[in-house]
Amino acid sequence: MICENCKQRPTKVTVTQILNGEQVQRHYCDVCAQDFHPFHLDLQDPLSLHQLLSNWFGIPENQQLQQKQQTEAISCSSCEWTFRQFLKQGKFGCAHCYESFHEQLPEVFKKLHNGNVKHVGKAPSTFGQTLKLKRQIESVRTLMRTAIEIENFEEAALLRDEARALEEQLQSGGENRDDN
Amino acid sequence: MTIERFLNNSATSWMAGEGEHADIVMSTRIRLARNLTGFRFPLSFTENEALQVDQAISSVLLDAEAELESTFSYIDIKEVSTLNRQVLVEKHLISPKLANSEIVGSVLLSNDESVSVMINEEDHIRIQCIYPGLQFHEAWRQADKIDDILEKQLPYAFDEQFGYLTSCPTNTGTGLRASVMMHLPALTMTNQMNRIVTAITRLGMVVRGIYGEGSEALGNIYQMSNQTTLGKSEEDILTDLQSVTEQIIKKEREARAALIHTRPNVLEDRLYRSLGVLTYARLLTTEEAGRCLSDVRLGIDLGLIKGVKVAILNECMMFMQPGFLQKYAGVPLQLEERDVFRAKLFRERLQVNNNIDDEGEEIHDV
Repeated sequence: MICENCKQRPTKVTVTQILNGEQVQRHYCDVCAQDFHPFHLDLQDPLSLHQLLSNWFGIPENQQLQQKQQTEAISCSSCEWTFRQFLKQGKFGCAHCYESFHEQLPEVFKKLHNGNVKHVGKAPSTFGQTLKLKRQIESVRTLMRTAIEIENFEEAALLRDEARALEEQLQSGGENRDDN
Repeated sequence: MTIERFLNNSATSWMAGEGEHADIVMSTRIRLARNLTGFRFPLSFTENEALQVDQAISSVLLDAEAELESTFSYIDIKEVSTLNRQVLVEKHLISPKLANSEIVGSVLLSNDESVSVMINEEDHIRIQCIYPGLQFHEAWRQADKIDDILEKQLPYAFDEQFGYLTSCPTNTGTGLRASVMMHLPALTMTNQMNRIVTAITRLGMVVRGIYGEGSEALGNIYQMSNQTTLGKSEEDILTDLQSVTEQIIKKEREARAALIHTRPNVLEDRLYRSLGVLTYARLLTTEEAGRCLSDVRLGIDLGLIKGVKVAILNECMMFMQPGFLQKYAGVPLQLEERDVFRAKLFRERLQVNNNIDDEGEEIHDV
């Protein structure tokens, strides 16, 4: 009999596997058998998100224990999920959870998103207008600070005026805005 | 509306074998996760909420058919049999999660199968666009357009700091998951994949076999996607993925050139043996079929194997999966029966291909 894998060398090893309750026999040569991993477990979720989250928050140091229990008991008023439940499932129950767990979330997101805690991409057009202005103001201010650092005060003054104008625009345009 | 057309046709738009770098990048997929305000997420909502969400989303999308220049079919997942759900998963038209759903969930499929909008999966809305070849920006434009249509009519759950609010914190922010499916036989044969996977992981991207987490790369097909959704704009996410994909394509081409240069006879022998197995075997496991398909595909790409169409290979890749096999057989099949039936279908398909050079006839309609 020749090896099932390479179809060239003679069989040296027989492996019996139980797949979905059915017995399967595989025959390999000594070369291919080395690459075969009989102990590969067919686990659904090798290391799931909720396990990771629980571990990060689950270091039971005496001092932190009480605080941790208090934190985990915080619950969302809309779906009634607790922070503990969020950690356990690795999922939010509703959009309001983001507000209910607001204090804890930056830590969670830092770990999941490479240290990032703030969205910078697309926004629905209803949010888009004010958000765009806010971001614009932020970037003008950054430019202003750089201008000051390199002592380019004329440029900095211009940028300051620009930021002010944008702020006014934001206030007049954003009056009836409904945040969240 | 009938779903039979989606089930019986083993060819689907993303398998067309077209698009840029189609010999290496098989398909590009964009997925957007969105939720509505005023309703809890599917994990915790009531059936009544589910119904309202479903109606709101499907009516907006069905009204937008003209604008999207496409017709959509609405499929209630409750009414689809287990086997048919599996077929839809194997075609990548719905997620395994939606297929396992017991109470709620539906999907709107565009007639060309390039767009699928899942309702009440993990999030209220999951927009998915699949394009053949490497087409990140084209697929994104389409998903973005559908998103724009929905956001005009529906109140989205969005937060200034956290962006689009999703059920899973790994999707928060853009809600965007972009991925490419790549055939990388030469990098695998030359043992370079482990190193590449490690390097890519450091860049905030994930590589895995096509059949999900943990699975070995069946048929040397890998899926690469972004991991980070918060703190990076859609444009940046796509540009980064595009540039890494292009580098991998370059490496794969180099590895292919090196293989054919150093051991041309060994390589040709291996690829033709695989063609022989597919054409004449009487028992074919999924693993062996996957490996041989990969070899034959490489043979075609390198110009070593002629007279076999890539379209036939794509079709074989689709119907070698358990759901499709049983759909064609018309009866449930045990493990060994599947291997027999799989081998028979491959023989028929490849010999039909050898004898008649005509693509019209479909032998596998049940």
